[in-house]
Amino acid sequence: MVQLEELIIHLLLNFIAREDLNAFLRNPQHTATIVGSLIAVSGALLGTFLLLRGMSLTSDAISHTVLLGIVVAFILMGSVFGRHPDLSSGWLIVGAAAAGVATVLLTELIYRSGLVKQDAALGLAFPLLFAIAVILVSRVVSDVHLDEDAVMVGEIGVAWANTNSHCLDGCESVTITPEDPRAETTRQCTNCRDLGISPRDDKAEFTQICTNCGHYSPAQAWQAGFTGQEPVLVFWPKSITVMAVLTLLTLLAIVLFYKELKLSTFDPTLAAALGFRPTLLHYGLMVLVSLVAVGAFDAVGSILVVAFFIIPPAAAYLLTDRLPRMLLYSSLIGAAGAYTGYDLARGNLLGIADLSDILAALNNLFGLGLSERWDSSISASMVLMTFLFFLVAWTFSPKYGLVSTMLRRRNQRRSFDHQVVLGHIHHHQDSPAAGEELAVSTLYRHFRWTPAKMQRTLRQLRAGNLVQIDAGLVTLTERGETRAHQFRQTQLTNESVGE
Amino acid sequence: MVLRGPSWTKVFFAPLRVPSRIKTFTTTMTNNTSDRRIWLLITATAIIAALFIPFSQFVLHVEYDYTLRTVALGGALLGIVSGVLGCFAVLRRQSLLGDALSHAALPGVAIAFLLAGRDLGLLLIGAGVTSWLGVWFIRLVTGTTRIKQDAAMGIVLAAWFAAGIALLVYIQARPDASQAGLDTFIFGQAAAIIERDVRLIAAVGAVSFIVLALFWKEFKLITFDPEFAGANGFRVNLLSMTLSTLIVVAIVLGLQLAGVILMVGMLIASGIAARQWTNQLGQMVILSAVFGAFAGGAGAIVSAVDADIPTGPLIVVVAFLLVALSLGFAPGRGLVWTLLRQRSDRRRFAAQTILQDLYHYALDHGRADLPAPEPFLLGVRGATAREGLRQLHARGHAQRSNGAWMLTPAGIEAAARDDRNHQLWALYRQYADDLDLPIIAEDRQQDIADALPPAAVAKLEYKLDTIRNAATQ
Repeated sequence: MVQLEELIIHLLLNFIAREDLNAFLRNPQHTATIVGSLIAVSGALLGTFLLLRGMSLTSDAISHTVLLGIVVAFILMGSVFGRHPDLSSGWLIVGAAAAGVATVLLTELIYRSGLVKQDAALGLAFPLLFAIAVILVSRVVSDVHLDEDAVMVGEIGVAWANTNSHCLDGCESVTITPEDPRAETTRQCTNCRDLGISPRDDKAEFTQICTNCGHYSPAQAWQAGFTGQEPVLVFWPKSITVMAVLTLLTLLAIVLFYKELKLSTFDPTLAAALGFRPTLLHYGLMVLVSLVAVGAFDAVGSILVVAFFIIPPAAAYLLTDRLPRMLLYSSLIGAAGAYTGYDLARGNLLGIADLSDILAALNNLFGLGLSERWDSSISASMVLMTFLFFLVAWTFSPKYGLVSTMLRRRNQRRSFDHQVVLGHIHHHQDSPAAGEELAVSTLYRHFRWTPAKMQRTLRQLRAGNLVQIDAGLVTLTERGETRAHQFRQTQLTNESVGE
Repeated sequence: MVLRGPSWTKVFFAPLRVPSRIKTFTTTMTNNTSDRRIWLLITATAIIAALFIPFSQFVLHVEYDYTLRTVALGGALLGIVSGVLGCFAVLRRQSLLGDALSHAALPGVAIAFLLAGRDLGLLLIGAGVTSWLGVWFIRLVTGTTRIKQDAAMGIVLAAWFAAGIALLVYIQARPDASQAGLDTFIFGQAAAIIERDVRLIAAVGAVSFIVLALFWKEFKLITFDPEFAGANGFRVNLLSMTLSTLIVVAIVLGLQLAGVILMVGMLIASGIAARQWTNQLGQMVILSAVFGAFAGGAGAIVSAVDADIPTGPLIVVVAFLLVALSLGFAPGRGLVWTLLRQRSDRRRFAAQTILQDLYHYALDHGRADLPAPEPFLLGVRGATAREGLRQLHARGHAQRSNGAWMLTPAGIEAAARDDRNHQLWALYRQYADDLDLPIIAEDRQQDIADALPPAAVAKLEYKLDTIRNAATQ
């Protein structure tokens, strides 16, 4: 991981000065946006397959039980090595991935019994695992900074502060041993506490201990004053590396197994018959989902990460029917949500509106006395922006959107009305009853329409030069005649095809 | 069964009511043995629950102080409410609706707090309103697009929860401390339950039960056959919104105790457990209420053993234990019963197969009690032979001598009877149409005399004899 970061840094330094790079990364907005976009892209890519497989809510279940994996790994590490790992340790990630797979296995175990339906099996499995995790947290690890709050509700705004420092020049790491002249020593009583005596007591025994011994990285050594020259450092946020690796892993998996994933998503039976091992792919996908969920939890919290698995693919699903485009669109929507979400957290909605103004207006109108400074959770705002994009896609999608569906329905209704009226005129226009059947004033009665509707339809037909009104009677124009014939023919064809 | 109620309800809810002509469809057949079993089970649970209190007092050393009594009572009441309403979520395949809606309650809590301050009733109303908007949004999305229900629930879950978190963070930036503790709704905090909350739970629960009772038959119909209900002029959408609203009520009441994440477990676990014991909705609902009350009460009491144990998660664990017990031991359906039945089937099949093997081997070689060498039987049938021979030996149908097996007279008689039965079944398959026999499902394990009327069996036997005579001539 550290070597990878160094590689990237050296690459970047070809294009950008060190000070600029540090300044860029120290800006919370840049780091938060980068991390958020990476989470969004990897989540959206995997979520696309989950959505198409009808298992969107599995990501929800997995993201909750990640807590159990972390807690168990934490406890195991503590009892095996006698030291608790920090929250970004690789072991915790392994534990969380295992918990994700365990959730899926437990769900299938319950489901396979044949006694419980699929959704209920999921609804049983993950609350149980989560409940166990919460009990373990409160029973076993009550004294450390691991609690369910930390895992479930993260904050991406502080991602920039959790860095690895990389030294480029003047790198002098220092190890202080007790023999070193710089070592500071002090006396400590070894048996005072056991015997309950004061250090001044005669029976007290003492030992020399070193207070500043240990290994110092270049940055620490400079701060402690052991080195004369200030090292040249780059501070690289850890979350960026973690999420970049996970995103690359996801991309790689999807590129390598694209054909297999596609086939097993749309036709699992065929995939199995052709020997593609859909079960193996299924669990591979679940492992990836767990990895992304755990990689994202300290940035966005493990509930909100669900949003990136579900909302962008759902929006993309409304925009296209092709898998490659759906993958692309959902990644773009996710990334756009992450990018604009940071501004929303500071009260700026896409540069259109300022939430502070809205709050002020609310205060003025209702006298609520709300704080007028909107400063909120960045990760939640990213989700809200993604949701906004979903709403936009839902409304304006060219094929499945609300507007286009409404227009299409209206056109169909209209074309049907036209057809009916043209047919009626065509049928009666040269008959003896034409005078009664085709009078403009009473035409609506034959259709049981309202007069207004009849008027509207006639107006449209006249505008299309399909009918003409002659002495209070409606007749077809030449164009109308052809149209009526066309309708009739299509109808006949449809009928014969139907038979 | 006729819905009884004051006449105004008949007028007011006229379009929602069951037309008289289809009443017979919704009347359930009562099954006496199943009834008795359910009441036994309910009594047993009640006795265990009653014994649990002294057990916890003297063995676990739980002190029944005022707080614990309140929390345990609250847990039990909540268990009843969510157990009853959860049944419908489980049966309508909407188990995860509970998850989505409990998350969707969070922004409501925050908004209610912003508008009206810290009043539990108002906070819960706010929670109910946003949850309900979530239900509405799910219906809208699934109704107008091709997005499936699970994804729509996921969208509501994530987006509403994000709105809730955004608002909570905004609220927490306030200078005063009045907002402290709002985030207990995320994880639940049972210790905060006071007597007033318990009364609230009881009152709201009672109201929702009254609604449930009023529309019992309609809810039952839309749960099991929504198309049929729709075709008969019920307002399925309105009814299912009403039912979802009741589920929202249960969720909102439970938030304080279980928190948004575990609420789904509370909602559905007791319903799933109850489902294993009965096939009737009424019994399932009652049983689910009993299970829910037990899980809620016992979970709260056990969590009092140690101050560190959180109540909500423990209730979920107890409820899951009930589910595990039910999945394992529910009569006729549970895994243990299935395993036992499979084993006895396997044994019977093995015995029958080997009996026929021995019989035919002996007949083919001249006489019915001729011994067949054991290695031959094992070689042909493997493990089935070992099992079958053990069974036959135990029944006294076969005996072993000098490494070979021969049928006893009783065995020969049984084998001949089986053989004849099989032949009659084979004839039935071949000539059922020709002989104008009644059409039944073929089951060669069954004695054909039990399956067909005597006259039909007589026809088949006559046919068999004719064929045999023709063959010997």
